[in-house]
Amino acid sequence: MTGRCGIQALHVYAGLARVPALEVFAGRGLDPERFGNLMMRDRSVCLPFEDTVTNAVNAARPLVDRIGQAARDRVELLVVCTESGLDYSKSVSSYVHEHLGLGRHCRLLEAKQACYSTTAALQLALGYVASGVSPGALALVVAADIPLADAEAGYAEPATGTGAVALLVGDRPEVLAVDPGAFGTYSFETFDTARPGPQLEVADVDRSLAAYLDCLKHSVLHYLDRVADADFATTFDYLAMHTPFVGMARAGHRRLMRELAGRSAEGIELDFTARLAPSLVYPGSVGNIFSGTLYLALASLIDHADLSSARRVGLFSYGSGCSSEFFSGIVDAGSRAALAPARIAEHLAERAELDFAEYAALIEENAACLVPRQHHKVDPGRRDELLDRVGRRGPLLVLTGIADYHRQYDWI
Amino acid sequence: MTENRNVAAVDGESAELAALRRCILAVVPAVPPEHIHPDRSLAQLGCNSIDRAEILVMAAGELAVATPVDGIHEDSDLDSLAALLRESR
Repeated sequence: MTGRCGIQALHVYAGLARVPALEVFAGRGLDPERFGNLMMRDRSVCLPFEDTVTNAVNAARPLVDRIGQAARDRVELLVVCTESGLDYSKSVSSYVHEHLGLGRHCRLLEAKQACYSTTAALQLALGYVASGVSPGALALVVAADIPLADAEAGYAEPATGTGAVALLVGDRPEVLAVDPGAFGTYSFETFDTARPGPQLEVADVDRSLAAYLDCLKHSVLHYLDRVADADFATTFDYLAMHTPFVGMARAGHRRLMRELAGRSAEGIELDFTARLAPSLVYPGSVGNIFSGTLYLALASLIDHADLSSARRVGLFSYGSGCSSEFFSGIVDAGSRAALAPARIAEHLAERAELDFAEYAALIEENAACLVPRQHHKVDPGRRDELLDRVGRRGPLLVLTGIADYHRQYDWI
Repeated sequence: MTENRNVAAVDGESAELAALRRCILAVVPAVPPEHIHPDRSLAQLGCNSIDRAEILVMAAGELAVATPVDGIHEDSDLDSLAALLRESR
């Protein structure tokens, strides 16, 4: 196959509720002088009947419904990417496959590589689709996570969101045509952020930020080394980066423009506004959704950039632990049209706004969804008052309980 | 340490400390050069977590060594960071 492959469709689920980041700052007594560094407006908040499976399905089901039965039957690979796994053996993908109604001739896989896993899965899916071993095949890559951040997370808490992004990968890349062979990678072992248990997250902020910046530089340098005549300042019309908080992406951009392009502070600011800022609108309103964050940034870029002609986008993916990749692709006006059915801006505006007390009261019960239990009951009806505050929404998959370790779900 | 030693590259100062000094002033120009002492931490100089990461990665790049990601801590003084960079050679 010689044609381009890439992302054919993309859908975002960013939860049903949000809390202003400033509310979390005030509620936790965080230093308001540091609020500007985060550059966050809101963060999405999950509800006690949501888990990794429901987030994945609620992102992917509208997309799967849109493409029709014939295309659905051509989905030959499903990868759910998460650092919020639910079982050491049974994968999240098995539940997601069932609730998406995909065919039985489909490879299932759960991928874990912190926030980088989705890019790894995307590259694997592209390789399958482009190989020609099954012409016309589609792959579905779903990034889905549940946050654990609480008061212990400090300044990460106001920037931590919830949600999922679904990517349909095929040979009609209406959202993003990936440049074949154009990538740079950089990985090494470090213990910057990890989840040693279902309700335990450990993070070393300084180590994580240093690893992110180090990976950004070296993955870009590897890309520039591999791709003839590529230049960081001029090859990419736009940029989208893993955005744990908006200020991090901005710092990464500043570093590269200073070191690789030799720009002044004023030149860096102009370049930030022109090339990176369009990708930060949705991340700044949702927060870090871990495996899906880069693709939320890509969606933001497509909805906010000038796409009057074809544009090349440079994408940086980072996952703690750590692994990273810088790659590129083409977006155009058709990308925005292909993304329009996802109604992402409307979806974000329709989330119920919580105050700090409402948000804080949910944290412990939310995180409990990741704990293995033999029996457990969840009553989504307890949250009817909150659901009534959500704007228009479609059918929603919810967790209703666990029976002999088997998770039970229903549509409301 | 004399006032003069802190303003610019200093005779006898290690290459690692000199690189850190340059990178601090490049990343956070508001830091008064005379406040940069080997026994001070980046946090004490007013550098936030992003600044600290950027300074360490930039200094490693200047020195052409691997970034000692695992050694950085909020309260590491400049001498400690210089030692980390030296060990990365």
